[in-house]
Amino acid sequence: MTASSSRRTILDRVRAATSADANTYADIPRNYTHRGALDTAARLHLMTERLLEYGAEVIEASPADLPATVAHQLQSSGRRTFVACPALPPELLPPDVNLKLDNDLSFDEIELCDGVLTGSFAGIAESGTIVLHHSPSEGRRILTLLPDFHLCILRASQIVETLPEYFARCPELPRLATYISGPSATADIEMTRIKGVHGPRFLSVIIVRDDL
Amino acid sequence: MTTPAHHPPVMDPRFAPPFPAAALPILQNTQLRTNVAHATDVIQTKRNSLVAEKRDWQELRNSAAAIRAHVLANLGDYLEQFESNCTAAGGTVHWATDAAEARTIILDLLRQEKASEVIKIKTMTSAEIQLNPALEAAGISAIETDLAELILQLGDDEPSHIVVPALHVNRRQVREIFAERMGLPQLSDDPQALTAAARTYLRRKFLSVPTAISGANFLIAENGSVAIVESEGNGRMCLTLPRTLIALAGIEKLLPRFSDLEVMLQVLARSATGERMNPYTSLWSGVVPGDGPQRFHIVLLDNGRSRILARKVERQTLQCIRCAACLNTCPVYRQTGGHAYGSPYAGPIGAILTPQLERMQHAQSLPYASSLCGACYEVCPVKINIPEVLIELRAQVVNQQRAQSSRWFDPMFIGMKAANVTFASASRFQIAQRLGRIGLRVFTRSDGWIHRLPSLGGRWTLSRDLRALPNQTFRDWWAARPSKGNR
Repeated sequence: MTASSSRRTILDRVRAATSADANTYADIPRNYTHRGALDTAARLHLMTERLLEYGAEVIEASPADLPATVAHQLQSSGRRTFVACPALPPELLPPDVNLKLDNDLSFDEIELCDGVLTGSFAGIAESGTIVLHHSPSEGRRILTLLPDFHLCILRASQIVETLPEYFARCPELPRLATYISGPSATADIEMTRIKGVHGPRFLSVIIVRDDL
Repeated sequence: MTTPAHHPPVMDPRFAPPFPAAALPILQNTQLRTNVAHATDVIQTKRNSLVAEKRDWQELRNSAAAIRAHVLANLGDYLEQFESNCTAAGGTVHWATDAAEARTIILDLLRQEKASEVIKIKTMTSAEIQLNPALEAAGISAIETDLAELILQLGDDEPSHIVVPALHVNRRQVREIFAERMGLPQLSDDPQALTAAARTYLRRKFLSVPTAISGANFLIAENGSVAIVESEGNGRMCLTLPRTLIALAGIEKLLPRFSDLEVMLQVLARSATGERMNPYTSLWSGVVPGDGPQRFHIVLLDNGRSRILARKVERQTLQCIRCAACLNTCPVYRQTGGHAYGSPYAGPIGAILTPQLERMQHAQSLPYASSLCGACYEVCPVKINIPEVLIELRAQVVNQQRAQSSRWFDPMFIGMKAANVTFASASRFQIAQRLGRIGLRVFTRSDGWIHRLPSLGGRWTLSRDLRALPNQTFRDWWAARPSKGNR
């Protein structure tokens, strides 16, 4: 069968099978919880709690303290070489740390980095999820994959309580998106949860209190 | 013993033995049953507590079921919408009417890439089309990168669960396999060490193999995006590092809009692994310059799905999002594990999906591999009424048998025919009762029970006793009782 005839065959079969159906998108019931009920403090608390449950590390910082907090987290991570997203504000990049910007680094160069510093698009408190849309301040997908340690900056104003609130906040559809809920994990051997199969084994999140 | 199974189970429904025959040796394998019971217990417990904390769970289920039913009712439009948006984003869409065509498309693409190796994300659909044997025959080595799939591949074993395919293998067995196949005789059986061994083993492959094959959890019609839901990061590796990515997806995997994920992701993670959200979810549209594979192909597979779509009761089978909650809760699956189903799709969903994908020509014992208790329906996040479909499929199996000329040699068929004639008339029924009472007297013991019957009836008494027929039927008693006026 030629390629176009297979397409035609499948679509014809599908249309014949559904010709009698009338089912509109607007009629789908949507009675689940859309908006959360927590205030800001409780929402941040929930986000923190979930991240801690995943074994991630959480630090709070005021906007003014952020550069110092970033420097401290990188220095105290026990790692030496770092890579960062190209569009992070320059004042966030500590001068006395071995850190290069991802200006089209090769995979091997990224693989040699112990840690990565990125921003983020959103946080979802209910599930402790960090959302990346891979803008230049969030980095290419590979960046948050190869290094073993991921230091992620999340602003309090980016944190929503529920998953539907995140979708309501997406002004346009992302070409790329990654939702990270805790470090890479597997339970394939006797249902024992093991951290860090292929992605970063260590996730550290700085929550910037830009809400105060 | 170097492998968990003495010989790999047959997972092609065309050649697999009927369920009862396949289940029997497994039921005698206490190690396997212990492993399966442990794994399903752990997932179920986590799933139940996370579902219980979700106050809008039933509303989410209702929406998830409605979204999936809506997609199926409008599938032609959504397929075309997906195709045009994926193409506009730089992807190439292929259509495969059946498994053979899908294999041909994928092999042709791999030949164009001059691929000798390919890294794979766990995909049940590739098992459905028997892709790995076809790759091997073409001299292309497929490297499974999901930890469980890697265990099975190195152990020459087959998946027994949709989400945790190696749940029937325990840590000591994994150690044996890895120690031998990775050349690590000193390896311990600590899951941490075993996982680390897999990480090291696969890392080189991720960084060097330029072609990857994936499945898809969802296809988004609105923007041509594909979603992959995973835990380990092997998916992200395969979606990011290679030059070329080939995804294989059933035509039913569509969602209308990006925001429909707000329902599907919530129900999927809780149902599948008992997590609020799985560690990694990846979404991409076609090809993104400077990030990830610069050649992206997606193969849309029919392989019997449009035929299922045309059937009123069975269509709901296609609502499935492969969470495997029905496997974990099924009293039959929990005893047998997945291999007895003789198909990559095990458990209750497999019992309805496999025979339909096989056009009811194979796997006809599977609709009977259920007690119809309904636990699967209760946990299903997209509300597939599996018992309803099972009964419909049983009726089809019986109808097929009825049409066969050999039926007159089948004692079961003759018995049913006789029962039909007998039950159709009150007087015939009464005569049969009298004859039965006399006939069964020979087999009735002094304790009032029948312990053993001959021939067909012996199958019943093999595992249960039968009470003797009473000397008086209700009708006899009613007719003989003193009439009201005499009381």
